[in-house]
Amino acid sequence: MTQVDLPGFPRPVARPRELGLLLAMAGCLVLGSLSLGSTQAGGLALAQPAELAIYLGALAAMHLALVVAGRRVDEVLLPVVGLLGGIGLLLAERLPQDLVVQRVGPLTLGLASLQLIWLVLAFAVGAAAAIAVRSDRWLRLYKYTWAAFGLGLLLLTFVFGRDVNGSRLTLDVGPVSWQPSELLKVILVVFFAAYLAENRVQLADARVRVAGPLTLPPAPYLLPAALMLALALGIVVIQRDLGAALLFFSVFLCLFYLASGSKVDVVIGIVLFVAGFIVLALVFAHVRERVANWLDPWADPLGAGYQTIQALHAFARGGLLGTGLGAGLPMVDGHLPIPAVQTDFPLAALGEELGMAGVVAILACYLVVVARGLRIAAGAADDVRALLAAGLALVIGVQAIIIAGGNLKLIPLTGITLPFISYGGSSLLVNGLIVGLLLALSDRGPAPPAAPRRARRVRQDRS
Amino acid sequence: MTARAAGGRREGALGERVVRLGIALAIAFGGVALGAGYWQVLRADDLAHDPSDAGVIAATQNAVRGRILDRDGHVLATNRRGTGGALYRVYADQSLSAPLGYASSLYGSAGLEAADASELLGLGGDDPLARALAKFRTPSPRGDDLRTSLSLALQELAVRLLGNDRGAVVALDPRTGDVLALASTPTFDASGIANPATSRAAFTEALDDPGQPLLDRATQGLYVPGSAFKIVTAIAGFASGAIDAATSFPQQPGDEITGLLVDGFRVVDGHHLFTGSEVLDFSRATEVSCNIWYALAGLRSGGAGMDAAARRLGFGAPIPFDLPTAVSQLTNGGGPLPGGFADDVELANAAYGQGEVLVTPLQMALVAATVANGGLEPRPRLVTAFVSPSGAVSAVPTGTLGRVLGAPDAATIAGAMVQAVEGVDGQKFTAGAQVAGVTVAGKTGTAQLGGSGEPNSWFIGFAPAEAPTIALAVIVEHGGSGGARAAPLAGDLLRAYFAAQP
Repeated sequence: MTQVDLPGFPRPVARPRELGLLLAMAGCLVLGSLSLGSTQAGGLALAQPAELAIYLGALAAMHLALVVAGRRVDEVLLPVVGLLGGIGLLLAERLPQDLVVQRVGPLTLGLASLQLIWLVLAFAVGAAAAIAVRSDRWLRLYKYTWAAFGLGLLLLTFVFGRDVNGSRLTLDVGPVSWQPSELLKVILVVFFAAYLAENRVQLADARVRVAGPLTLPPAPYLLPAALMLALALGIVVIQRDLGAALLFFSVFLCLFYLASGSKVDVVIGIVLFVAGFIVLALVFAHVRERVANWLDPWADPLGAGYQTIQALHAFARGGLLGTGLGAGLPMVDGHLPIPAVQTDFPLAALGEELGMAGVVAILACYLVVVARGLRIAAGAADDVRALLAAGLALVIGVQAIIIAGGNLKLIPLTGITLPFISYGGSSLLVNGLIVGLLLALSDRGPAPPAAPRRARRVRQDRS
Repeated sequence: MTARAAGGRREGALGERVVRLGIALAIAFGGVALGAGYWQVLRADDLAHDPSDAGVIAATQNAVRGRILDRDGHVLATNRRGTGGALYRVYADQSLSAPLGYASSLYGSAGLEAADASELLGLGGDDPLARALAKFRTPSPRGDDLRTSLSLALQELAVRLLGNDRGAVVALDPRTGDVLALASTPTFDASGIANPATSRAAFTEALDDPGQPLLDRATQGLYVPGSAFKIVTAIAGFASGAIDAATSFPQQPGDEITGLLVDGFRVVDGHHLFTGSEVLDFSRATEVSCNIWYALAGLRSGGAGMDAAARRLGFGAPIPFDLPTAVSQLTNGGGPLPGGFADDVELANAAYGQGEVLVTPLQMALVAATVANGGLEPRPRLVTAFVSPSGAVSAVPTGTLGRVLGAPDAATIAGAMVQAVEGVDGQKFTAGAQVAGVTVAGKTGTAQLGGSGEPNSWFIGFAPAEAPTIALAVIVEHGGSGGARAAPLAGDLLRAYFAAQP
């Protein structure tokens, strides 16, 4: 459980599975870099070998840190997330570097350099969380404090934030702009997990009959959660960050189901959400526009529908196997075909260059992250840890589904990021934190003493 | 697998829900993957080859367009390198502006340049593996050359003969459907539009020209056909069995004087006094272009009979062709009678090409070609083969649009059309279409437009009548009677065509 052998020197634990997967992943990225470099140079070459080396070095460092820390944590998450981040780095190297430019002291950094810096920082955050987080007490005991902190952050953004593309999402701190709703994802999951775990029995058993077979948990237990959710949704809707609203609600619904086991509650939740969405569409013109644009982007092919149509064309150009890295995204008059491709439509760009095969592979990677998170949840020591692990994994998985579905015109488009692949510091750091927390939650505690019979074996004991 | 041991500590319920949640997420990811399949496999072709696709646009700007050749190998369209190093299109002659269109970096493309853009730009390959490996090829791929059935000489002549008039000429080989000339006047300066240095001025000039040169009259122009349409009425009559070669109408001579009474309206026609009180049969009626006879024949075929024949000829739908075509119509389609006729008056008028009948020159050329080809309508074809940069030839097969009427009936109609050109009375109208040493079959049309101004002048026909190798349709807007303008134009064209034959 969470009693820990405090400082001192932990015994390093080898992580052969992670090492093997990391090597396979590194092989994939080297091949990808070769493919991209060959297209750009016209001969056999690696694209940005230094950046690739730094990136792989950061992953190796995180692997070593976990080995040295001696914690027996999940060995699949890091390589999978590393692959996604690496694909994102290749995409950033492939796009025009002047899409994002930032001056840091004497340096002028372009898209790929910035993405690399954020990726390395994200893995540092992840490693720190994976190694340092030993107790969940500080998370669960102060759940309302966390919730207040999160909402305070949002309010701060609302008051002092800057409008970008009609949504007030960014908070400028010094030279860096942050998107607090990214961090709010984690804070909300922590709050939901702690709250739902605490009230789990009541939510499941002490149900109040509403009508016929329809029952609901008693109001005193339901109300705080509903209120919390409405508040978060409200602020998010006012800030026009519909993607985040959809994400929060979906994750909340999943966790509620895990806690209460009631499918009826899930159905009610979905009905409430759809009803709420219809009301929003009736009240807010921008929601209405977004739905109309989703149903028929070709109604305004050069205006509102332009981005979506261009993305669908990119998917179509890719076909089954893609054009190959670096060979897609035809420039017309010096412009990329899809505006905001690096943040909102990386999947369309990858769909063109890696084809449907690449898209399915990327989706499969997210599914692996979800599966590992749910596995950690199933094996967790208590409800809080279980709900926390499931919630954190779902944040990544559901977010991927929402933005991928939006890119493919399956659901209305919302401006959220494709985890680990989209350009963006806040998103990468928070996703790094999520991976770190998932790793920490997967800790199976100190290795039990080796059985005498096995002790004679040469192979390292990993129970 | 070892984690299961740890999981054993938890009560089963949560574990089960976790599994269910995992399955739900897997289904959601599967749905997204299916969405990718929809756009990347099912819809891939139509989106990626659309002219508005960024890839097509970029290829338009970067790739070397294939050349366009005529039937004898003359280069109709090729590329020239501009001052900035960029390639632009050059066309052999301005007379080609309608069929070839233009390809411009500023104004997109039109005509064959637009219709066959993906072949001309070399985007045709659909093998996914080949496309994935294509990025390692040397840059600036070259598109396919188009080999067309056009004859540059005939095309130039057709445009020259139309002169300053607005109009169109369509000439094709009735045996294969190969289009020999597809002229539309006024023409426009396609090379000027393609050249970046003159693009804007040339396009503006074409756009502002009241003659609407950007409209391809041969395939897109809709005209009242006048008496040229009688061949369609004849086809409908023979195909439905309503008339035969001996059909005559006893009231016809009298009605020519008093007018044919239909539903209380008089269909008046008085323009061939020289037949006097002669009761005309099919051939004679065609030779002298008797409106009363054809009105009666149309009424006997009925709206349904007329409609069925017109549809089989290609009315009511775009004609399958290399270029987009306007839809020819028999009626406006709103009327209660079969075929959409409002009443018998409209049907009687339509039978000699007035009423609400509107046709494209291409459609009328196909009507002539159908009679010439023994009742079997050829499918028109402009591109005969694609030639890849490596020299591989991919031929476009010839085809037919189906049998419209039997060969004996077609021969009967052909005979009447010969009389209309060569007969004692026929040549009073149509002598201009005659060619020394060649029997020409044809039918003029003088389409009254209502209001003032000269009527549109029509001629459709084919030659040699015994074994036709060329069928054509000529329309000269406000050219006067068919015999005055269109028939002599057709004669000049046929003379040049046969003079060039070995």
